[in-house]
Amino acid sequence: MQLSKERVDAFLAELNQAVRVYVPARGEAVSSFARYGQGTEPAFDLVNTDMPPKDMLFPQTEKMYRYGLDDEGKPFVDATFDADEVVLFGVRPCDMRSIECMDDVFLTRGFIDEYYETRRQKLTTFALACTAPAPTCFCDSMGLNAGQAPAADVLLKDVGAAWQLAAQSEKGAALLGKYKGFFDESDVQDAGAKNSDSVSCTLKVDMDGVKEKLDQMFDHPLWEDITKKCLTCGTCTYVCPTCYCFDISQSNRMKIGERYRCWDSCMFSVYSEMAGGHNPRADKLSRVRQRFMHKLCFFEDRYGKSLCVGCGRCIQKCPVALDISCLIDDIGAAELAPVALAGEKGAGDGKH
Amino acid sequence: MANTKTANSKAANIEIEHGCAREATVRQGLVPQLCTVKSISHETSDVMSLRISTFDGRRPFDCKPGQTAMVSLLPFGECMFCVSAQGEDYLEFTIKRVGYVTEQLHALSVGDTVGLRGPFGNWFPYESLKGRDVLFVGGGIGLAPLRSLITYMLDNRASYGRIDLVYSGSKPSDLVYLQDLQEAWPQQPNMHVHLSVYRESSDWDGAVAYTAPFLEGLGISATGKVAVLCGGPSLFRTCSASLEKMGFALEDIITTLEMRMKCGVGKCGRCNVGGKYICLDGPVFSMAELKTLPGSVH
Repeated sequence: MQLSKERVDAFLAELNQAVRVYVPARGEAVSSFARYGQGTEPAFDLVNTDMPPKDMLFPQTEKMYRYGLDDEGKPFVDATFDADEVVLFGVRPCDMRSIECMDDVFLTRGFIDEYYETRRQKLTTFALACTAPAPTCFCDSMGLNAGQAPAADVLLKDVGAAWQLAAQSEKGAALLGKYKGFFDESDVQDAGAKNSDSVSCTLKVDMDGVKEKLDQMFDHPLWEDITKKCLTCGTCTYVCPTCYCFDISQSNRMKIGERYRCWDSCMFSVYSEMAGGHNPRADKLSRVRQRFMHKLCFFEDRYGKSLCVGCGRCIQKCPVALDISCLIDDIGAAELAPVALAGEKGAGDGKH
Repeated sequence: MANTKTANSKAANIEIEHGCAREATVRQGLVPQLCTVKSISHETSDVMSLRISTFDGRRPFDCKPGQTAMVSLLPFGECMFCVSAQGEDYLEFTIKRVGYVTEQLHALSVGDTVGLRGPFGNWFPYESLKGRDVLFVGGGIGLAPLRSLITYMLDNRASYGRIDLVYSGSKPSDLVYLQDLQEAWPQQPNMHVHLSVYRESSDWDGAVAYTAPFLEGLGISATGKVAVLCGGPSLFRTCSASLEKMGFALEDIITTLEMRMKCGVGKCGRCNVGGKYICLDGPVFSMAELKTLPGSVH
């Protein structure tokens, strides 16, 4: 089944009547997934948007419930919550993988997060297979295939003048069925067809044994080298498609208040600072180590997969070029001989 | 030491439950249930105990000794506390005034509204402790979580052996649950309360010592005993070393941890130690388990 590129706008406009459609788009300062229509020009040529699509499921700020005193002066909590039907059109395979990681966090292990669950059930994803990865992309080293997105409802492949569509879930098939008038059954690939079946990233890392090595590297001097450079600005955590930490706070106005959650960052010292002043991660080293250990080691302990999907956003945006791919190289090269943390410099290869 | 190991090997192993983090079955963990303050008792100048009931006078929810709950004070904020005791119609929280929200909690009056959500986390291994002698070691506000297990054991007295409580504070007026410590608990069958303060004081004729040397000097045998420990970082470090020196196996030293928490349900990220979340996999761990978690025992 194919969708002619000439008809994409007609299809999205029609779809946008029924649901909220989000597409990759260039903004004034940053690119992100933006609501289709209203002057938004889809930018399907963007490999990765600056901002990941995680706010579709986990908004940067999300109201959880209202509370306060009602007209009779009685306290109340109003937890009414609903979400709109959303189609995420043109999401890349790495970002689809990040949604799988978020599903693990918010939908498994003891508690199901109802806010996330509601949004997730109302989300339909059209993934766009990559044909030309960016220089900072390394998803294939993280176990992904840039031409596939198994968790997406529909997979789009660029076949020149059209996109080939493949439904990968019942939800995807139902949506394609509903709008079948926009599609044709042809399977033609013209001269402009782009290869998405054997795409290879130019940036490579070797993840073999990295997790097992990190299990023994909590006190390794390598973290000292990395920490020197880091400003703990938190940019990496905000642009990361899998960083899911959040704060819970409230805003109050007269007798009514709202409790909300918002993105937080393990790079900030107040993140773990307790009342009374004790902070288990007061120093910069322990926070930098926490972030990378979480991505490459702790998450795998808990959920059986890496929390880095190889999208390369943190490499692009870090103001001091602290590069996770270099860190992975360094971990691979590090010696595991028991060395005191305050001892000699580690086995860093100087890339930092 | 060899005798200790032989003696302990005869007793059932202590099994700490962490399965509460396994199945995703519970929804609605983040929205508080509105409740009311049933009573307030002032333990020290900066510690008080709040008893909280539903509006219609019931216990807000059932929980096991050692479990935690988020006390949600609208419109100020939320804090995680261990449930220090529970009755037919209340849950009790013992709260030290140390920050913004606890300052506001200390300003509450009987009948005021608070939110509660929970129970969260795992619990003390009260089942596998049956038949065992238990040594509690605590300092200051660290007695609050221990109290949940002590009161459970006293309510089920026949199921447990000898109870020793070693408890310290900086000065006599810093000791919480003073009435229990000095009157109620020493009168309980086969329960022994050992108190010390860190500094001499005109209103104190008991022991003056830091907790670790005081503990070591009491001549308590580790044979057949399980230790349950809770206190600040310094007490935790020194007393866990003392317990090991006294011959306690790492599996038989149990503690409960504290970290900053926001969600309480293993999502918000900040309370991790390695791959474990203290709010969900913990707060109760054995020392043997902690030694496998990176950075937990410093």
